[in-house]
Amino acid sequence: MPKSSPMVHEARLLGILDTAADGIIVINAKADILVFNKACEAMFGYAASDVLGKNISLLMPSDFSVDHDRYVSHYLETGERRIIGIGREVRGKHADGTVFPLELSVGEAQTPDGRQFIGVIRDVRSRKAVEQRLNQLQAQLVNMARVQAIDEMGAAIAHELNQPLTAVMLYLQAVIRKTSSDTASQLAPQTLEILNKALREAERAGGIIQRMRHSVERREPERQACDLNALIDEALELVLLGHDIEGLQIVRDLDAMLTHVHVDPIPIQQVLANLLRNAMEAVRKSDRRMIKIQSMVSGGQAIVNIEDSGPGIPPDGLSNLFKAFATTKKSGLGLGLMISRSIAQNHGGDLTVDGGGDGRGATFSLRLPLIVGSHEQGIADQ
Amino acid sequence: MVIHIVEDDPGVNESLRVLLQALDHVVISHSTATALFTAPLPTQDDLVIVDLGLPDIDGASVIRWLKNLSAPPRVVAISGQSQKLIDRALKGFQALTVLRKPLSGDALVSFIA
Repeated sequence: MPKSSPMVHEARLLGILDTAADGIIVINAKADILVFNKACEAMFGYAASDVLGKNISLLMPSDFSVDHDRYVSHYLETGERRIIGIGREVRGKHADGTVFPLELSVGEAQTPDGRQFIGVIRDVRSRKAVEQRLNQLQAQLVNMARVQAIDEMGAAIAHELNQPLTAVMLYLQAVIRKTSSDTASQLAPQTLEILNKALREAERAGGIIQRMRHSVERREPERQACDLNALIDEALELVLLGHDIEGLQIVRDLDAMLTHVHVDPIPIQQVLANLLRNAMEAVRKSDRRMIKIQSMVSGGQAIVNIEDSGPGIPPDGLSNLFKAFATTKKSGLGLGLMISRSIAQNHGGDLTVDGGGDGRGATFSLRLPLIVGSHEQGIADQ
Repeated sequence: MVIHIVEDDPGVNESLRVLLQALDHVVISHSTATALFTAPLPTQDDLVIVDLGLPDIDGASVIRWLKNLSAPPRVVAISGQSQKLIDRALKGFQALTVLRKPLSGDALVSFIA
């Protein structure tokens, strides 16, 4: 095979470089740009002909370009690597002056023309934008969840205290009535007075509970037409963010019809995130780590099933699962599932669980009514 | 008249029984719906106090069963649940008295009378 001339070889190489999705820049030891591929042109807004032979500092914000010259001379003098072979996130400057984040990996090559440095550049703006959006969403969710949690906690306390308070009031009334009507067991007037005072205090506590309950019950969910599958995916993104997901298999089986479900998106996403977080926790120690998320329409309801490959929930744990302060976890108040169920019920739906066991994981089912409108009726009919 | 109580919370169940017995009523109390179903049927003269949040069968189904007896007893529902849940559970029931917890003995006594 005939050998290609150096010029043909270089042209081929440049052709290959131009097809690369990542930006590729080659500079010499003086930091003059020797190669600037097509991806770089798109990224920085310069044509290759504008930048070839110029110092690479042209592509950096000024504060960084000063340091860059220092980095290069420092490396050339000492051989100490700050970026070469390591890679890092740096900032680039577009022709229009916009500064943007990019990921830079640098390699070094000894060539007949001297030392050259090859930089591979990836624009991370879109990734950054997604991260920022997620962070905003997460902050919003945390904030809303906090408000909701305070409300729901109030409702939970009200509900939990109701039973013993009812018992206290009935016992006191029993004593008062019995001793008032039965002359044989009549109490001293002072004792009776104390019992009546105790009853009044219990009734006062009951009044406080009723007011707490009313303030929560008045609040209606702020419904809007939501793409339930998008809510699921966003909740999933939120939950996976920053977690070790190696070996975790997520199976999504989503019904494409669920694009207009009338729910209050923030609390519903909170429920989904809570269920997904629990599922991740449940499979943490399992050999097979799988979470299956299924959405579907059945009986005029949108149903989201979240199944995990964990050990399941023991039958004696099931009865307390949705009760407040009944957690088995080391952290948390055990309000998550109770609040989640309450949010589902507040929407006219419900949250139920199949505890699994015997090799099956748990499956939580979130049911939400499809409000009958033209579109929803269409879904319900199908 | 016998007053039947179907309430799973032991404190509420017993305190109801103690109060009603203090008022000289004959009381039979059950902690589950199943226990009520397997006991002798309440008669037309009786009163049944049914908690809506029972563990085995929901209170609304119990009330429906009672109302469908050939000689149905009087029924009063009690509940610690939210008004929304109560409304949903009891949809379709006509003229059913619901006493919300915390339960005032006076409200109950005036209903019985």
